[in-house]
Amino acid sequence: MMRSTFVLAAHSLKRVRVIVVAMAAVLVGFQFLLTQVAVVLDRNQAFGALSSIVPDFIREVAGPSMLAFMSFSGIVALGYFHPIVLASLLGLAIAIATEPAAEVESRFDDLTLTRPVRRAAIVSRTVIVLVVVEAGILALMALGTWTGLTCCTPATAQRPSAALLGSLALSLGAIVWCWGGLALAASTVVRRRAVASGSTGVVALAAFLLDYLGRMWDPVSRVSPLSPFHYFEPMTLITGAPLNGRHLAILFAIGAAGTAAAYIIFARRDL
Amino acid sequence: MQLSAIHCERLGKRYGRLTALRDVSLDVQAGEIFGFLGLNGAGKTTTIRILLDLVRPTTGRAAVFGADCQTRSLDVRAKIGYLPGEPGFYGDMTGEATLDLLGRLGETPVDAAWRRSLCDRLELTPADLRRRIREYSTGMKRKLGIVSAFQADPPLLVLDEPTEGLDPLMQDVFYDLIAEMRRRGRTLFMSSHVLPEVERVCDRIGLLRAGELVLVAPVQDVRSLAGRRVRVSFHADVARPVFPADCEVIDVQPRLWDLRARGPIGPLVSLTAALPVADLDVQMPHLEEVLRKYYAGGASEKSEVRSQKSGGVR
Repeated sequence: MMRSTFVLAAHSLKRVRVIVVAMAAVLVGFQFLLTQVAVVLDRNQAFGALSSIVPDFIREVAGPSMLAFMSFSGIVALGYFHPIVLASLLGLAIAIATEPAAEVESRFDDLTLTRPVRRAAIVSRTVIVLVVVEAGILALMALGTWTGLTCCTPATAQRPSAALLGSLALSLGAIVWCWGGLALAASTVVRRRAVASGSTGVVALAAFLLDYLGRMWDPVSRVSPLSPFHYFEPMTLITGAPLNGRHLAILFAIGAAGTAAAYIIFARRDL
Repeated sequence: MQLSAIHCERLGKRYGRLTALRDVSLDVQAGEIFGFLGLNGAGKTTTIRILLDLVRPTTGRAAVFGADCQTRSLDVRAKIGYLPGEPGFYGDMTGEATLDLLGRLGETPVDAAWRRSLCDRLELTPADLRRRIREYSTGMKRKLGIVSAFQADPPLLVLDEPTEGLDPLMQDVFYDLIAEMRRRGRTLFMSSHVLPEVERVCDRIGLLRAGELVLVAPVQDVRSLAGRRVRVSFHADVARPVFPADCEVIDVQPRLWDLRARGPIGPLVSLTAALPVADLDVQMPHLEEVLRKYYAGGASEKSEVRSQKSGGVR
């Protein structure tokens, strides 16, 4: 099974290489440029001025993370939780994870699964591609940040620690893996990619909004732990709090559960 | 006792309330070329997909060379080369990349010389194989599908509408390929709507109607059910005789007899010996004439079928 898994994984990676390289280039560039934005703000002593103009009630609602964000570290760290960056990586993960449904829809699996290939190889292939692509992009993002900090940042700047950047990348990776696993499970149930990706996307949007509201409104805060985004707390990290291992484990466990469900469902269903 | 290449035992498949297959039992012997017929929606593709473990049966079981299609699916699929009715090729892949990928998914490497030979015979040039499949015509896609099914040289070939989209010359090439597979001892299980093709290449046929197997018989036996069409024309008016018992009268006129002879036509020829015969035209029976009756259905055909089914090898 391993040989056919890797053959299929190489094939899938080849098919997505253009979009992955393009997205990686954009995100790496963004990470690098954020370090330079932070340099400019720091040089102009803008962080203090920025925090002073924030009204007290907003400061109260946002909490200490608001102040932490308005710092050199916070601006550099933005690249690991900016909503657009998050949405892009989640979108890519969902696109990759729904390949099994695409193959059923296109009948490509009539060609591959009529060879001596286990159905589990299809799911394993998707997991490999998801992990390789997302880990690769995160690593390149970290490289972009490190390059910006190393080559083009004054020594006096209050750089984020490697531990903070590592925690942010790991946290981002965990939420992406979580939704990738859920999308994979959806992909093994349905016969059309659009249904799998669309339904996962809608659920992710609802979960994001649930968590967002839960952070601002008590009645919703009681149910916001149902959202995986509840366990994605980059703003807490930039205030200096340590990475919450329990939250990380929950995100990885959700992704793992989705993946396990995908193995079971795909093994039993009619194609 | 030799293992059947395909053994289906009371195979059934239901999709909710819809019964796609009902109690299908069938044996295809190794080295045989078996034609699997039926109208659209009869259950042919469902049967094939059960053999390939793409679909799981509701009842019964299927086996290929003794290996259960569900519990030993990998072993089964290692022995099958499959041509789908509509191959799901990716348009942005080249023909060569597609063949390479599918070849690498087998248990043994594809013989490059054999693949080249297949491509040459089907007139798929290296330039064609370097082009993306979205640029292929229907016939070229079908040829690519044939190569992908045959390239691993499997002992069993399952082909769904293999000549669809092929021009007449390519069809002849395909039939030559089938003949070579027969000489090499390969088994072919092919689904086709082209009855002349089935008649030409198949040893036996099975016919599905509404999910039930209503006929399994050698092609020759089925053809003989149709009888031969005999038209006798005369120079002068002749009286209507008493025709032999196995002669069905289609039309009788003073100078023309239009008959169907289900047995030897010797007695009929003897009948005309003293008559002013102008012409005698005997048309060989075709499968289509018999199968149309089975396609249409009816209880009377089933009783006839049962005697034919007993002629199927188990």
